[in-house]
Amino acid sequence: MNLTLRIYLTGVGGQGTLTATTLLARAAVAYGLEVVSGEIHGMAQRGGIVESTVLLGGFRSPTIRPGEADLVLGFEALESMRAVPYLAPGGAAVCATDFIPPPGVSMGRERLPDIEDVRETVERVAGSSLFLSIDALGRRAGVVRSGNTALLGAACAAGFLPFGPEILGEVIRRHLPPKDAEINLRALELGREAAGPCRERQEQA
Amino acid sequence: MNHLLLGSAGGKHLLLGNEAVVRGALEAGVNFVSCYPGTPSSEVPDGFRSLAASGRFVFEYSVNEKVALECAAGAALSGALCLVTMKHVGVNVAADPLLTMTYTGLPGGLVLLSADDPGCHSSQNEQDNRLYARFAGMPCFEPASAQECKDMTRAALLLARESGQPVMLRTTTRVNHLRGPVLFGPLPDPAPIVPFARDPGRFVPVPAVARIRHRAAAANLERVRDTAEASPFNRVTGEGDIGVVASGISRAYLHDALLAVDPERKPRVFELGMSLPLPVKALEDFMRRVKVLLVLEEGEPLVERALQALAHTLSLPVEIRGKQGPLEIFGEYSVPQVRSALLSLLGLDEKAAAPAAPAPAALPGRPPNLCPGCAHRSAFYAARKVFGDEVVYSSDIGCYTLGLLPPLRTADFLFCMGSSISAGSGFARFGKPVVAFIGDSTFFHSGLTGLVNAVFNKHTVLVVILDNGTTAMTGHQPNPGMDQDVLGANCTHLDIESVVRGCGVTRVARAGGYNQKRLLALMREMKDETGVRVIIVEEPCVLYARRVLKKRRGQKAYAARRDAAAAECLETLACPAFYRTGETCGVNPDLCTGCMVCVQASPSFKARKEGEQ
Repeated sequence: MNLTLRIYLTGVGGQGTLTATTLLARAAVAYGLEVVSGEIHGMAQRGGIVESTVLLGGFRSPTIRPGEADLVLGFEALESMRAVPYLAPGGAAVCATDFIPPPGVSMGRERLPDIEDVRETVERVAGSSLFLSIDALGRRAGVVRSGNTALLGAACAAGFLPFGPEILGEVIRRHLPPKDAEINLRALELGREAAGPCRERQEQA
Repeated sequence: MNHLLLGSAGGKHLLLGNEAVVRGALEAGVNFVSCYPGTPSSEVPDGFRSLAASGRFVFEYSVNEKVALECAAGAALSGALCLVTMKHVGVNVAADPLLTMTYTGLPGGLVLLSADDPGCHSSQNEQDNRLYARFAGMPCFEPASAQECKDMTRAALLLARESGQPVMLRTTTRVNHLRGPVLFGPLPDPAPIVPFARDPGRFVPVPAVARIRHRAAAANLERVRDTAEASPFNRVTGEGDIGVVASGISRAYLHDALLAVDPERKPRVFELGMSLPLPVKALEDFMRRVKVLLVLEEGEPLVERALQALAHTLSLPVEIRGKQGPLEIFGEYSVPQVRSALLSLLGLDEKAAAPAAPAPAALPGRPPNLCPGCAHRSAFYAARKVFGDEVVYSSDIGCYTLGLLPPLRTADFLFCMGSSISAGSGFARFGKPVVAFIGDSTFFHSGLTGLVNAVFNKHTVLVVILDNGTTAMTGHQPNPGMDQDVLGANCTHLDIESVVRGCGVTRVARAGGYNQKRLLALMREMKDETGVRVIIVEEPCVLYARRVLKKRRGQKAYAARRDAAAAECLETLACPAFYRTGETCGVNPDLCTGCMVCVQASPSFKARKEGEQ
């Protein structure tokens, strides 16, 4: 298979982005793609930045350097903005509009960018992008953290991944306990729906 | 027992490198596993822990790396096939027994997993432990994929059993924490136990024995060279008179860098998966076929220098390149760095990639931080209030190293696991008084010896043992201080206060981690006393309390008075559940864990039942 895709995922410790990374990597395997994925643990767990990667199509290195990511999945808005240098010019991005304020912001010493700044910074580099509130979608699905799955569903539905949401659904059913699976399948569906209108807006613009 | 890692032969699963190590050890029939957890190695023992009920092996979290290695060495002398796991700096702790057990040899077989951390993702240095393999005289395997993590662990264990020599399995963070498909092999019964035959002339290295065993160890290592020459992990591909020799994760970077090179122009490649003893015959043959050769290895130029020496000895007219340009001894390599070195080797121009977007200016940082409800914050807050800058804070390794961040600023120096008490004792002889902070797991690891020394040599140091009842930083592994209920039937709880008193400390007191009044009173009392004083601060790690102990507090703090006092608490306690609002401070109920330290610190905060408005 000639298709290659380098996916850079970013979020905040405790958010569950590594679980989402594994889910995505398993879906790619289920679809028959060659996969290598990477993550950095350690200090990052204590509320720091958590970055991970999924590389499809025959790469062996689990790393992605600046300018190399064909797709950025940002599970938190500030971290999506910070990850923009990783995005290959013309690549795709799916970003949460939700912020988790870092300590400096909570203390009132630093200011968060406006979500419009995030959007503008991403769109300046990305060929196409999607923004959605994963907190809202997760809450509707039953558990805030399932919003991560909604974001993956949106990325599939938008055509940014080589497979559709049904592959993710299959992996969720196979690997999660029934109760969690139910919530995550709901989140997946909500993500898929959210991708529709977002995409139309993109095309109109 | 139903577990992914016990799956049948022929199955293909997506595994973390560390999970693949566990499977490889099972496929070799490992009998005994010991460890001290440490990033990036921790998921290996965690995997064995989750499989303990399978009854296939004996497993323990040892109290430190030296003990882990000695325990496994004893088991290997007794005939068991053993795996010992630790992070790179742990091998420093274990170096003493290591450098002698290669002399005696271990008939049951022992593999040491050294998980190195180039780039210091979660470590205090980036030492290259391939040097230890050379120093101790051990064969060394360096996997670069999840599949190789499994295959090389198995091969290393089988070699250790066959040769009777300890073997190193050396990984790096990227390898431990990559995920890839792994094809499972058969799962045999555990290895047979090799009966111990008394042989003091071999196993008791008094000088007369040691001198002989040094020669025996060298001869044994030389015999293993034949294995390296024929190893399937040492492969040659490609052709032409331009060569690349690559080891460890650099092999993955090389593979990806070559994706951009025309097949006609690809170099001859020697992949060095089993890197010690060097397969000199195969390398000589390789070097005779090339005019110029690039060595790819992260860290120290060990292979590069060995090849230069070999080329010199054999008078081979080959130009050897290694550490130059973008390829430094510092940090990690990357695909672009390797590509750049490779293209220059091949005399090809680098196609300029579209430049990456610049980093957005001045975004707020997101440093790791002590969690909301962490009792370390409470202890540090009290310490700063009582001691301010009148003392120097000697820190240690664990979550509490994060006390270095403002506004708590309770870490002034640190060397390694367990150094807080001993280094603090020495510092106080010539400088300001010292308050030393050490966690429960680190105390048992190597704080104990420093405490005994402080008592013995009449040092003056105030030791604060931050007992959160678990090994929090690495993911809540057991240690001797943990609750008996959680430890279960296979471990015995040790009471820290009794241990401290047993070491000869007479000034000892306990305080609840959230009890500000008690913390402040004890610290004020002990502030001007001399000699060794110990305060044991007890409160379970807040994440551990929630996930493992299933404890909930049912209360939340809120800012009852939105005033300047609340804002001052935000500036000095800096709980991550606080947020600034205008000139004052609020509490985010989603983040508040109900520790109520703020309520004690400032009259502006009050407690209320969860869910109340």
